Amino acid sequence: MPTSGSKALKLGWQVACLCLLGIFVPALVTSLGYSLTDALGPGPGFFPFWLSLIGAVLSAAILVQVTLVKAAEGNAISLAPDWRMVLQAIGVLIALAAAAALFESLGYRLTMLPFIVGVLLILGARSPIAIALTALAGSFGVFHVFYYWLKVPLPIGAFGV
Amino acid sequence: MDTFAHLMAGLTAALSLQNLAFALIGCILGTLIGVLPGLGPAAGTAILIPLTFKLDPTGALIMLSAIYYGAMYGGTVTSVLINVPGEAASVVTCIDGYEMAKQGRGGTALGIAAIGSFVGGIFATIALVVVAPPLAQVALRFGPPEFFALMLVGLCLITGLGGRSLLAGLTMAVLGLLIAMIGIDPVRGAPRFTLGIPSLYDGLGFIPVVMGLFGVAEILLGIQQPHRQVIKTDLASLLPSREEWRRSIGAIGRGTGIGFFLGLIPGVGAIIPTFVAYVVEKRLSKTPERFGHGAIEGVAAPESANNAYANAAMIPLLTLGIPSSPTIAVLMGAFIINGLTPGPFLFQERPDLVWAVIASFFLGNILLLILNLPFVGLWARILHLPYAYVCVGTLLFCVIGAYSLQQNVFDIGVMIACGIIGYGMRKIDMPIAPLVLGLILGPFLEKSLRTSLEMSAGDFSIFFTRPLCLTLLVLAGIVLVASALRLPPRELREESAT
Repeated sequence: MPTSGSKALKLGWQVACLCLLGIFVPALVTSLGYSLTDALGPGPGFFPFWLSLIGAVLSAAILVQVTLVKAAEGNAISLAPDWRMVLQAIGVLIALAAAAALFESLGYRLTMLPFIVGVLLILGARSPIAIALTALAGSFGVFHVFYYWLKVPLPIGAFGV
Repeated sequence: MDTFAHLMAGLTAALSLQNLAFALIGCILGTLIGVLPGLGPAAGTAILIPLTFKLDPTGALIMLSAIYYGAMYGGTVTSVLINVPGEAASVVTCIDGYEMAKQGRGGTALGIAAIGSFVGGIFATIALVVVAPPLAQVALRFGPPEFFALMLVGLCLITGLGGRSLLAGLTMAVLGLLIAMIGIDPVRGAPRFTLGIPSLYDGLGFIPVVMGLFGVAEILLGIQQPHRQVIKTDLASLLPSREEWRRSIGAIGRGTGIGFFLGLIPGVGAIIPTFVAYVVEKRLSKTPERFGHGAIEGVAAPESANNAYANAAMIPLLTLGIPSSPTIAVLMGAFIINGLTPGPFLFQERPDLVWAVIASFFLGNILLLILNLPFVGLWARILHLPYAYVCVGTLLFCVIGAYSLQQNVFDIGVMIACGIIGYGMRKIDMPIAPLVLGLILGPFLEKSLRTSLEMSAGDFSIFFTRPLCLTLLVLAGIVLVASALRLPPRELREESAT
C-alpha cells in the first residue's frame, strides 16, 4: 500500500479497493440469503457473512487511507512503462482466450499449433524454422507426451486430431 | 515402528528406480525453472503439477518436492550471472555473487552456493526427521478449536510478516477465504456463490487460480522487463581456495541455523532468512567493507539459509497442515489433489508416503549437488534462451494444467482471469501470498470453526476456555499487533528495502 508515491500507483490502489468492495458488498448481501445459524449451530452463511463484512470494512479502510495519502508529483512510478510491451501482453491474453474458446472443438493439437505461432510472433520471434519446430513440438509433441505417456486427458477435436 | 525404522523404510521406497527417477526429473525441472528468468518456485511447481496427475501419490509428491527445492537453487545461477534473482530468496545473493562473477570468480560463487545449499538442505532434513514425529504426536491431541486457532496463527503470521501493509495482507487473506467458500457447503450441502454456473459447484479450482496468479501473471510481467546480458566469467574453477573455505565454513553453519529456525515459522518467507543470514555475516565480519564487493560469505550464508529454510518449511506443512509460503501452499494443493490432507493424521494414515517423501529430501539434495557442480556451464547456457520461447512453454503447461484436472475449459478461463488479477496486484505491490494461503486454508478453517461451534452448541466461549486454544489465539493477536507496530529489526528492513 503506498504511503507515498506516484498518482498512477495511488489510482491503482483506489481502483483495486473499489474492485474489492465490488466483491465483498455483493457477497455480504448474498450471504444473508443463506442461513446464518441452524439447529446444529452456524449455518452455510455464517462464515461467508463475517468474511464479507470484515473484507468490506478492511477495503473501505484502505480506500480511505490511500485517498488521504498525498501523491508525489515528481516521483512517477509508471504502471504501463512501454505501450509496445503492453500490446504484446494484451496480444498474449487474446491468444490465450481464443485458445480456450477453441480448445475442445478443435482439440489440443489444432488449437495449440496456431496459438504457439501467434504468441511467438507477438513476442518478436522471427526465425521461421525455430517457430515451426517449436509449434510442432508444443502441439503434436506435447500432446503425445501427455496423452499417451503420462495419460493426462487432453481434448481431441471434431476432426479427430 | 520407531522413527529410524520409518526413515529406513522411506529410504528404501525413495531409492526405488522409479522414485529416484522422479526425484532426478524433479531436480532437473526445478533447477531449469529457477534458472529461467521470471519463473519463481511457486509458478514452477504449479505449472508442472500436470506432469504428476497420473503418477502414484508418492512419486508425484517426491517429484514436486524436488521441483520446489531445485527451483530454490536454480535462482542462484541468474543472481550470480545476470544480477537478476531467479526467485525472491536469491535477491541477496546478487549483491556479492554478481560482484564475484564480475571479478572472474563466478564459478566459485556458484560452487559455494551449491555446497552451502547442500549443507543447509541436509541439516534441515535431519532436523525434520527428529522434530516432525514428536510435533505430529502433540498435534494429534488438538481438537477442532485448537486447529482453528492454529490456522488463524498461521494466517496472521503470513499476513503480518509477508507484506508491507498489514491492512492489505488481511484483506487479501479474507478474500482468499471468501473465494474458498464458492461451491457446495461441505457441512449442509447447500450451494454458495455459484451464480447458477454448474462448473462452480465444485468450487474455484486451486490449481487454475494459482497458475493464473503466478504462471500467467509472471509471463505478463516478464514481457515488460528488460532482458539482461549474461556476464562472461570463469565457470571452470568451482571449488573455493583454502582462504575462501576458511571464510565460508562458519557462514554456512550460521546460515543453515538461521534458515532452519526461520523456516519453522509460517509466513516468514524465503527472503527474510537470507537477509538475516547476510546481515549477521556482515556484523560478525572483521572486514565488513568487503561485503558488496564480492565477499564469499555474502553468498555462502544466504544460500545455506535459503535451502535450510526450504526444507524446514516442510515441517509445519507435514506436522500441522500449515503452509508457510505460496510455494508450500501449492505443494499442499498437490497433496489434496492426490486425496491426502497434510497434517498430523498423515503420519498415522500414510507413514509409508510421508517417510518416502522425507527420505527423498536427502536424495534430492545429493542429486542437486551432483547436478549443479559439474553442469553449471549448461545452466548458464540456458540463460541465453529467448524469452518468447520460455513464455510459450510456460503458457502451454498452464493451459494443460488448468484444463486437465477437471477437463473443463471453464478452468482455463479462471486461469486467464486470475492471471490478469495477479498482474494487476503485482503492479501495485498488493500481496498475493495471503490470498493463496486463505484460498487453501479456507475449507479447513471453516470446517474446524463450525465443528467447534457445533461441539459447544453455538457458544463461542469454547475458544477461550481451552488453554491451548486460548494461547494460540493470544499469539495470533500478538502477531497482528507486532506487525501493525512494525517490529522487525530496523537494519533488516533497511537491507530489504535496498
